[in-house]
Amino acid sequence: MSITLASDVGGTFTDVVLTGADGRVRVAKTLTTPGDPTDGLLRGVEQVLAESGTAPGDVGRFVHATTLATNVILERTGVPVAFVTTEGFGSMLALGRRARVEEERYDLAYEQPDPPVPPGHCFTVPGRIAADGTVLRPLDEEAAGRVADGIAALGVSAVAICLLHSYANAEHEDRLAGIVAARLPSGVPVVTSSSVWPELGEYERATTTLMSAYVGPVMAAYLRRLGERLRGLGVTAPVHVMESAGGVLPAELAASRAVYTIESGPAAGVIAAARQGERRGLADLISFDMGGTTAKAGLVRGGRPGITHEFQVGGKGSFGGRRPGTGVPIKVPAIDLAEVGAGGGSIAWVDAGTLRLGPRSAGADPGPACYGRGGELPTVTDADLVLGYLAPDGFGEFRLSADLARAAIERHVAGPLGVGAVDAAAAIHDIANAQMGAAVHVVTVRRGIDPRGFTLVALGGAAPTHAARLAERFGIARVLVPPQAGVGSAVGLLHADLAIERARTFLAPAAALVSCSAARDALGELTRMLDGLERAALADLGVDGGAVTTRSVGVRFIGQAHAFTVDLPAGPVTPETVQRATGEFYKRYHESYGIDLRDPVEFTTARVRVVLPSYADAPRGPGRAQPAGPSGTRRMWLDGEFRDVPVRTRESCPVGEDLVGPCVVTEPQCSLLIPPGWHGTVDAEGALLLEGAA
Amino acid sequence: MTRPAAPGPPPDLTAEILRNALCVAAEEASIVVVRSAYSTFIVEGADAAAAILDARGRLVAHSLSTALIQCTSLRSALPYVLRAYPPETMAPGDVFVLNDVYQGGIHANDLLVFRPVFLGGAPAYYTGTLIHVADLSGLSAGGMASDATDIFLEGVQLPPVRIATADGLAGDLVRVLAANSRTPDKLVGDLRALIAGTNVAARRLEEIAEADTPAGLAAGIEDYLAHTERRMRAGLAALPGGTHGGEYRLDDGHLVRVAVTVDGSGGVVVDFAGTDEQVPLPVNSGFSQTHGGVMYALRCFVDPSLPMNEGCFTPVDVRMPPGTLVHCTPPFPGGGRFGTVAAAEEAIFAALTRGGAHDEAGGRPPSGGHDEGVSGGAGGRPPSGAQGVAASGILQAFSISGVRRPWLHMSFDLGGMGARDARDGPDATGALFGGGRNIIPQAEPIEARLPVRVEEVSLIPDSGGRGRRRGGLGTRTVIRMLEDARVDTRGDRLLRPPPGAAGGGPGRAGGYYRERADGVREPLGTKATRLPLAEGEALVVETSGGGGYGLPEERDPEDARRDRADGRTT
Repeated sequence: MSITLASDVGGTFTDVVLTGADGRVRVAKTLTTPGDPTDGLLRGVEQVLAESGTAPGDVGRFVHATTLATNVILERTGVPVAFVTTEGFGSMLALGRRARVEEERYDLAYEQPDPPVPPGHCFTVPGRIAADGTVLRPLDEEAAGRVADGIAALGVSAVAICLLHSYANAEHEDRLAGIVAARLPSGVPVVTSSSVWPELGEYERATTTLMSAYVGPVMAAYLRRLGERLRGLGVTAPVHVMESAGGVLPAELAASRAVYTIESGPAAGVIAAARQGERRGLADLISFDMGGTTAKAGLVRGGRPGITHEFQVGGKGSFGGRRPGTGVPIKVPAIDLAEVGAGGGSIAWVDAGTLRLGPRSAGADPGPACYGRGGELPTVTDADLVLGYLAPDGFGEFRLSADLARAAIERHVAGPLGVGAVDAAAAIHDIANAQMGAAVHVVTVRRGIDPRGFTLVALGGAAPTHAARLAERFGIARVLVPPQAGVGSAVGLLHADLAIERARTFLAPAAALVSCSAARDALGELTRMLDGLERAALADLGVDGGAVTTRSVGVRFIGQAHAFTVDLPAGPVTPETVQRATGEFYKRYHESYGIDLRDPVEFTTARVRVVLPSYADAPRGPGRAQPAGPSGTRRMWLDGEFRDVPVRTRESCPVGEDLVGPCVVTEPQCSLLIPPGWHGTVDAEGALLLEGAA
Repeated sequence: MTRPAAPGPPPDLTAEILRNALCVAAEEASIVVVRSAYSTFIVEGADAAAAILDARGRLVAHSLSTALIQCTSLRSALPYVLRAYPPETMAPGDVFVLNDVYQGGIHANDLLVFRPVFLGGAPAYYTGTLIHVADLSGLSAGGMASDATDIFLEGVQLPPVRIATADGLAGDLVRVLAANSRTPDKLVGDLRALIAGTNVAARRLEEIAEADTPAGLAAGIEDYLAHTERRMRAGLAALPGGTHGGEYRLDDGHLVRVAVTVDGSGGVVVDFAGTDEQVPLPVNSGFSQTHGGVMYALRCFVDPSLPMNEGCFTPVDVRMPPGTLVHCTPPFPGGGRFGTVAAAEEAIFAALTRGGAHDEAGGRPPSGGHDEGVSGGAGGRPPSGAQGVAASGILQAFSISGVRRPWLHMSFDLGGMGARDARDGPDATGALFGGGRNIIPQAEPIEARLPVRVEEVSLIPDSGGRGRRRGGLGTRTVIRMLEDARVDTRGDRLLRPPPGAAGGGPGRAGGYYRERADGVREPLGTKATRLPLAEGEALVVETSGGGGYGLPEERDPEDARRDRADGRTT
């Protein structure tokens, strides 16, 4: 098979993996370099190339997950943008649609976050289209020309256009974009909302378009630089970037559709979990990805990761950061996952006699106290070390200091609370598990899904230490720890498929599609819309054959706000397929809310997702050294006492051996805790499957 | 959810875990209601209220993004449910509903649903949910009749009644309710959603009790409430001691007067003695609503991260004389309460800031704060040295309904916030109730659903009160009728716009207008009902700007320049 490089840049660590010609996976974990992430990345690439003896020119593909788009939006480091909308709506961005949630509610000194576009950069143009797409008033081209002059005078680097009801008729947007582009220097992107995401809801469509314009040039420059640096090493392979829904995009598309990459990093973990499960016949999975800064939980049902169309960057709220009305809404589909600020680097602190954890993280610099890099505040990693779950020498590039960890916990947690350091460490570990439990809760119980019967997949450096205990909280009896779990997201990138999604508002009662005389027209329109979306998606990816297309529609009860996405079969939409989709919606609604309702429904959105499978072979684990017995014991805190627990290295565990907890299995990038009551076996690919009594 | 049986760390160290689980349970109930409800107020992103209460009626946890006055309603109403249906008469699966403003409710359209959670054979907790349903009779579709002179004109009155048992909905009662709604299907759908929400929270609570044992859960809750109360008391103890007066006058001239007495050791008495008598119009507030406003106002002066539970209520003694604006009694209506609640909040802000409390939320008052005994209204220039607080424009509600076909659009817009000593007032945000613009429907979905065209939603330049700090801007919304319609309006601070403080000017007064097809604009009443708007005419809703703070001539030229550049001033 061809040689593939993949890299996942996280808040703390940058993971780089390589599958060689022999199918073996090689791994490097470097500290993330926030100033220029390509530094840490390149260091990792050099390492794996050297270790595997791979000639850079032999690399066939480079797959990348990056948090760049998210960071640009959160840190407001995008390019200057001008925004144009319909006359009467010039305050759209300034007004926003924010909720004041939680602590903000009581803040008399509340300050609205500045919109990313200053009011002076917002323009309006007369002209009006109705909800059904008819032109009520033609676009005022003279006024458009004046707006274009105004924008040109500002010297912005990009323009975003969102006119009312452009999802139904893009004529005015296209014409306006032409007029504006003609008066700007060439190369300044003019982005229309109908091209980015033609769906009803002007504010969310506007922010999605705006962010595309705002992030695009930054993403383009970053990918250009990354490409240059890789070529500097001799790596000339095409660069693919993971998009939010778990596919990958060619670099050029990732630059022009930067909003598609916002959940790039987190998506990789869920995709990895789905792949790992699939190889073992496990279709219902909860991916649990815990790194240095955050923990993320995602859901895979029937082999497919859950996708959401209600997503916001920088979303607030204690419950997985998914509270509507916070952050910047982005309509592009994203893997449905919950993220909590509980990673290995999360800082424990005492607040009025109560132990709290996070959301501050020690990050890569200075890192947890035990890293000995100047960090003085106690973190989850410090607690895990004090409790004996981590080995001082078993963690990436450097040794961990148990003394520094203990001192930090004593000073900042145990002392103020008047308890022993070990009790404090155990409480930190438990609270971390509870917070991660909140993330799992969001994607399962809160969606009306019973997590028992699912398999928890542990990914990321800190996950294997916490996974079994987390599973117990939910009555989950099975935990899968894939080979190279510590860099599991990056491994997931190795076999990501090229994919893209397109959607457009299609608002019609289901009854009108099946019964009335106009049904044939409406059905034909939906079919034509789906066909058009599919053609556009194929053109995005530049492919014409071998792609797999999934068509779906949003369905909801007439008069309600929230829709479910239901798949349609390929081919023309018929009254029968409409009825099947309606039935599926009833079933999902009942499952989710416990309400068995059969009221009239409407379709809301037509969606098409096109995937070009990569057909990558499964990577094999690192070569296994000859089996050896237990490689020693370590004292660790279990069930209220310190016990001597056997410690094994992953390579020393032969295929099929039953590992009985308590027991620890170490790898260079992580440390797996098998608690009492659990046991695990190694499979032929090097994955460990744990089973518990829960 | 199961927890390992192994002994963990001392329980007080992990109390945070239980607390979180309780809040998540309430939150989950709220989400289920929102996602499965039909109500017009819900469909564009509003939140439903959900709460967990214990057998003694104490508030244990509530959904986080809900307006506090709604959760207070759930807390206030439960004792009346228990009075009508003593716990020993309840059976597992029972669900109760009410909307009676005199028994803790809000008004006809706000339905409160409660479900007992049985542990060990008896109700140990109650889960409650609340949303505004589209219609439950009354003078006007949507329940905003501003000419309702008594409660019966506001809609069907529901004392606590059993709406469901383990066997399902009480069909007889549901049929009566449906028969009294202009939108019967939506009403029943919303009722189901409310019940589903209480079921979800109940299930979570049962799971927690199973994992922690009922006694463990009870002990954990006890600790939680006590811990919150300690923190609340610590915050209240830092307020300037003594009795501080404040008042605020409504558009119609009626006065809400308050005296806030801070004992310096964590207790506070909020007494509305001296407030004007109730009026035979929907201006009054039910006691639960005023209580919610008091809690909201006080919460603005303590640690904002405090959880909202009984521990916040215990130290606060709220005295609302029955028969006044802040505590309506039969048969006086209560549907238009938010003007009065907002006035109560503003009066408390005035009392506390003039008493010397720092005006930054969560901040500490300056040491040696003293009582100036100021009781002048927030209008006019306060005595020199007093900080005062600029008032905010408030929520302005309206509804539009079809004349020939039954359709209904209910919405509101938000006024600008008052400026403060340290900063300009935010524009058109959810002052005084803690909401936000996310619950205001957008133009595209409205036009896709209803025979109206939204022509404008914009900030009004120069609407913020002038001052060293400028008040937040109000908004203008223009909605054109594509067929004949009727309009209800419900606003306040339109005839007496939000006053400035410390020498700042008042915000620009908003209002409601009819824009005729020929472009002529005519003012509409600010509390008016069923006004005709013909096809081709438009409803114009303008919200008031917030008051300014400090003398306008002291405004930093750089701030003034930025305002002009941003179009906030002309």
